[in-house]
Amino acid sequence: MTVLEADAVSATEEVANLRRRLAEAQAAHADEVRRNEAFSRIAAAIGAHQSLGETVQAVIDGGVELIGAQFGAFFYNVTDEAGESYMLYGLAGAPPEAFANFPMPRKTAIFAPTFDGVGVVRSDDILADPRYGQNAPRRGMPEGHLPVRSYLAAPVTTVDDVVLGGLFFGHRDTGKFDARAETLIIGLAAQAAVAIERSRAGEAGHRELTERRRTEERLKFALDSGRLGSWELDVGTRAYDASDICKSNYGRTADQDFGFDDLVATIHTSDRERMLAAMDEAIRTGGDYDIEYRVVIPSGETRWVHARGRAAVRDETPVIGGGVRRMAGVSLDVTERKRAEERQRLLLNELNHRVKNTLVTVQSMAAQTLRAADGLEAFREAFEARLIALSQTHNLLTEQNWESASLREIVDAELEAFAGRERLDFDYARDLRLNPKATVAIGMAVHELATNAAKYGALSTPEGRVTVAWSVEPLEAPVRLVLTWTERDGPRVTPPSRRGFGARLLEKGLAGELSGVVRLAYDQSGLVCAMTLPLAALEP
Amino acid sequence: MKTLAALKVLVVEDEALVSMLVEDMLGDLGCEVVGPAAEIEEALRLAGSAEIDAALLDVNLGGRPIFPVADALKARGVPFAFASGYGEAGLTEPHKGSAVLQKPFREADLRRVLEGLAAQVV
Repeated sequence: MTVLEADAVSATEEVANLRRRLAEAQAAHADEVRRNEAFSRIAAAIGAHQSLGETVQAVIDGGVELIGAQFGAFFYNVTDEAGESYMLYGLAGAPPEAFANFPMPRKTAIFAPTFDGVGVVRSDDILADPRYGQNAPRRGMPEGHLPVRSYLAAPVTTVDDVVLGGLFFGHRDTGKFDARAETLIIGLAAQAAVAIERSRAGEAGHRELTERRRTEERLKFALDSGRLGSWELDVGTRAYDASDICKSNYGRTADQDFGFDDLVATIHTSDRERMLAAMDEAIRTGGDYDIEYRVVIPSGETRWVHARGRAAVRDETPVIGGGVRRMAGVSLDVTERKRAEERQRLLLNELNHRVKNTLVTVQSMAAQTLRAADGLEAFREAFEARLIALSQTHNLLTEQNWESASLREIVDAELEAFAGRERLDFDYARDLRLNPKATVAIGMAVHELATNAAKYGALSTPEGRVTVAWSVEPLEAPVRLVLTWTERDGPRVTPPSRRGFGARLLEKGLAGELSGVVRLAYDQSGLVCAMTLPLAALEP
Repeated sequence: MKTLAALKVLVVEDEALVSMLVEDMLGDLGCEVVGPAAEIEEALRLAGSAEIDAALLDVNLGGRPIFPVADALKARGVPFAFASGYGEAGLTEPHKGSAVLQKPFREADLRRVLEGLAAQVV
């Protein structure tokens, strides 16, 4: 071979060599491009704020691609809503079913360095690794496991060395993962840790947000159910924010503006100063604001509102003197309660009035009875009878809610205590209802007439009879009730030597009270009492 | 100033038994009863024109307040007292501070109140 020839061979070799080196460089470049792309995808996936599962999947897929692994897995701990910790995993290069029947990896000699965060385990042939097959009961991979020879595992730990999980890669051939692959996986593990932490923080934040939303919904439901409005006032700017129900408490619709000046203007002029003073006091002392006031709503109606609130400093640091920045509270329409209270107050006043009047009536009865009585025993008998007569009319009125009583029932009730009721005749076209005052007055009148008849008149003998008759005389204004008590067939009647309580009550008292005329006629055949009373004074 | 003897007292009271009691008490005290009026129109008529020195007014006259009668008496310069189961609580604002006879009352209470009214009579 000549020098030229030798040179030619050498040149050819060199060309071949250059071509080989070029091909190698191109392959390395392509590798680099692929890795860069893989890293970009991982970074994009991490940056996309996906769920924990999606982030983990992006990391495994990226890892498999970066180091040319056949299988990739990521086992990691999660905490559920109940606070229970359990392990999940993501896979690449194998369907999830490939692991479905295996228990979660335990901290065996092989896995311990990864789960304890000690460091990377890289093996060209895991079956030849001294740490492999040391643990009962399986002493190696379980039956049906993916055929792994090349093995690369890295712990995923946070900057605080908290182990989040482990990244595992495998290949069915030996010697597939070199030192470069190890470096890549360490980098990937660091990225995965950041991504998982961020994802967890995001999920925790989301959980907190969901919980806060639920709490707010519960609060709103409670407020709505109780028809409670809520409001907030910025003490400095006087900006006032009222909920829809709060606005409705002041007669405003949800879409109407309702600021602090509107609030103050709506409050009844008599209550306004008191309300502003209470608010100032709460702001000054940082104490509670609790007030009931009247509001005059736009329709002109006056309603009652109960407002409660509390002054609060904006930040938690206590500021001395004028540190209150805002007030928040609730408002409730208490008009119905106020009206009920007013009704109750009136009712109580009315009851008190009635009781006091009854006491005076009894006092009067005692005094009148005493003036006419011949001794204590007679007093007692007459007084008790009158007391019971009064009580009978009260019973009738109570049955009818103290509104009215029927004239027929009044007469019946008063005569119940007397013998010989079968000797009583009634003559009337229709029954009448009388107001409470007329009921008591006519009840007492009938009692006095019956007492007199039983003692001296028609009811004192077996033959005597009494007719109670009434009619309404509409022909002459005012319309009058003519009520007569007529005794006959009794003992011969003579006018009494002195006018007793009964006569006085009938002729003067009853006539005066009911604005009518009452006449007692001592006819020989029997006493006749004729009452002519204007119907207007009797009707309920 | 007058004494109770022959003092002409207008009585406005709508319940017969109560006005009978008041009449008897006033009689015992030597006063002369004008009325009793049981309704507001009659009470107003007497308050405006009857010859009276003083008046005793039931606050509630069959559900109608007595205050127009009180105003008429005030205009005439006739001293008066309210008789009420409510006490002073039953009075409207312009009449708070007026003499009040709380029901039920004793003759001695009525005498004290009337003496107060008689002292105002010129």
